[in-house]
Amino acid sequence: MDAFNNLMYGFGIALEPINIAYVFAGVFAGTIIGMLPGLGPISALALMIPITFAMEPSSGLILMAGVYYGAIFGGSTSSILLNAPGVAGTVATSFDGYPMAKKGLAGKALAIAAYSSFVGGTVSVIFLMLVAPLLSKVAVSFGPSEYFALMVLGLTAVVSLSDKSLIKGLIAAVVGVIISIVGIDMQTGTERFTFGSVQLLDGIDFLVVALGIFALAEVFYMLLRGGGGKEAPRNAIGSLKLTRSEVKEIAGPVGRSSVLGFFTGVLPGAGATIGSFLGYSMEKRIAKDGDTFGQGNIKGVAAPEAANNAACTGSFVPLLTLGVPGSGTTAVLLGALLVMGVNPGPMMLTERPDVFWGVVASMYIGNIFLLVLNLPLIPLIAKILDLPKPLLLSLILIFCMIGVYGMSFSVFDLLLLLGFGLVGLGMRLFGFPAAPLILALILGNIMEESLRRALQISGGDWMTFIDKPISLGLLVVALLSLGLPLLKKRRKKIPPDVAV
Amino acid sequence: MTRLNTNQWLALVFAVLAVGYIAMAWQIPTFPLPRPVDSDLFPKVLGFSLLILSVFLFFEKPTPIAGADEVDEEAQHGPLLLTPWARVIVTSLAIAAYALLLVPLGFVLASTLLCVGLTAYYGYRRHGVNLATSLGVVLALYLTMTKVMDVYLPTGLLPF
Repeated sequence: MDAFNNLMYGFGIALEPINIAYVFAGVFAGTIIGMLPGLGPISALALMIPITFAMEPSSGLILMAGVYYGAIFGGSTSSILLNAPGVAGTVATSFDGYPMAKKGLAGKALAIAAYSSFVGGTVSVIFLMLVAPLLSKVAVSFGPSEYFALMVLGLTAVVSLSDKSLIKGLIAAVVGVIISIVGIDMQTGTERFTFGSVQLLDGIDFLVVALGIFALAEVFYMLLRGGGGKEAPRNAIGSLKLTRSEVKEIAGPVGRSSVLGFFTGVLPGAGATIGSFLGYSMEKRIAKDGDTFGQGNIKGVAAPEAANNAACTGSFVPLLTLGVPGSGTTAVLLGALLVMGVNPGPMMLTERPDVFWGVVASMYIGNIFLLVLNLPLIPLIAKILDLPKPLLLSLILIFCMIGVYGMSFSVFDLLLLLGFGLVGLGMRLFGFPAAPLILALILGNIMEESLRRALQISGGDWMTFIDKPISLGLLVVALLSLGLPLLKKRRKKIPPDVAV
Repeated sequence: MTRLNTNQWLALVFAVLAVGYIAMAWQIPTFPLPRPVDSDLFPKVLGFSLLILSVFLFFEKPTPIAGADEVDEEAQHGPLLLTPWARVIVTSLAIAAYALLLVPLGFVLASTLLCVGLTAYYGYRRHGVNLATSLGVVLALYLTMTKVMDVYLPTGLLPF
């Protein structure tokens, strides 16, 4: 009953006219940004942060949650229409969505994507409502050692699940922490790595890094690949209607993938990409017509879409209950929350129930907006894809600039943005994953604080991380998570007959 | 002498950076009151971690990077100023110039100039549409930030 009352309280906040407007604006803007190839939820959220500065935290987070959902849905749109997934989480959607579009069934594929996202999102919000309070009750007992171990696990999980080199992922994470500790040490007041620059005393703002590494680097990367742009031809969208038998056909895959997606999202590092691939492969395996997957099977669109939206909601669980993001996207959300003066964690449910339950309720509303308003608008929104690429690239640059300058009013930060843009380009060209860097940047300070507090309490004894069963368990899982990709690599090298 | 591969070059760069970082970490002043952990511990751990990782990177076999070969081949044989790398360099210089001119010229003027200039440079030839869209978006952003969100943006040469 408690959960129901709390949810009603959340609806009271989310249904305030101004917050409804924010959900709609967020979903709409997210859809547009997510649709642009290359710009995923991280860029979308980073671009929106300056807008949330002046807002009430609950309104700000409601807007951001809408942007997140919208960006994932927008990514599906470009996956289906152009075979160019805006985000990694919608790659699996393109396997069957694009063949459907080529057959003139783009409207149907988009409708399936929207309905499945709606169900995936809604089912997972119910799970979030039930799981989050339980988890935060457990997390209240966490001390600094447990938090430090949890953050190490969050980082290693993100590193180990990036498809690039493990070493490069770890280097990106270490560099992220190195950037995070620039400035005055809050515990001792000592300056660290400021090179005498007054501008660096407050540290390097995560927005500068996030916009540089993701949005600006993406612009540079697109310039390298041909700024003039050779646009892919687009087919007509066609009807958005589904028949009763089609609805019946996708009901099972959507239900199963929603649950699977949610629990994948809760795991640190897993998120929408893995959730959608798991959903897709599970359905392909159990479907009677599994061999038609990849040729425009509607279940091949429904499963990954339900799973990726459910995973997005699932990824809010560690963020809101533990204060530890499990992905690059939720790391940016955490950064935005900290800027708004909200500290997510186990106490958030009691200290800021308005934010927590407001966000949960806004997720329901966001899902409805995605379905009722965004879907009919898709043919119109899809025209954004017709925007000439040169103009699009310049406009993204302007958004980055205003995002950074509007927050810090510092020309120095604009130059830093340029620097991080070039670093981001280098990372892309040399195969360094960006998500561990951004996650480490957000977690770096909190990690150091937890480490120092734990050692302070134990009188400098490092065994404190091993003596406590929870922190020991988390550290062991962190180590194992790093071991897994190495094991996978070794198995690949061994010839199949030996491996058996 | 055998040639170094990309990973080995990168590893050397990171190793040099790590050594420099560790040296700087050693210069962090000690806090007057004795504490089990001081400001220098974490940076030292990070510096050594980076150094160890760069050693691992040195011995890691480079793998082909998805999309790295997608550089615009056509443009590479075009005029020097329009080659892919020239585009990145010119854009970087334009951003640096924008940062320096933002306050004296003002947000609207500097942003419109950057947007129109780069769009034309990237090859868009419908200058009227370019100017109208750029000015429209910049003005919309400027008015939203200054009038709705009360964020100050430099006015520069323009009176508003």
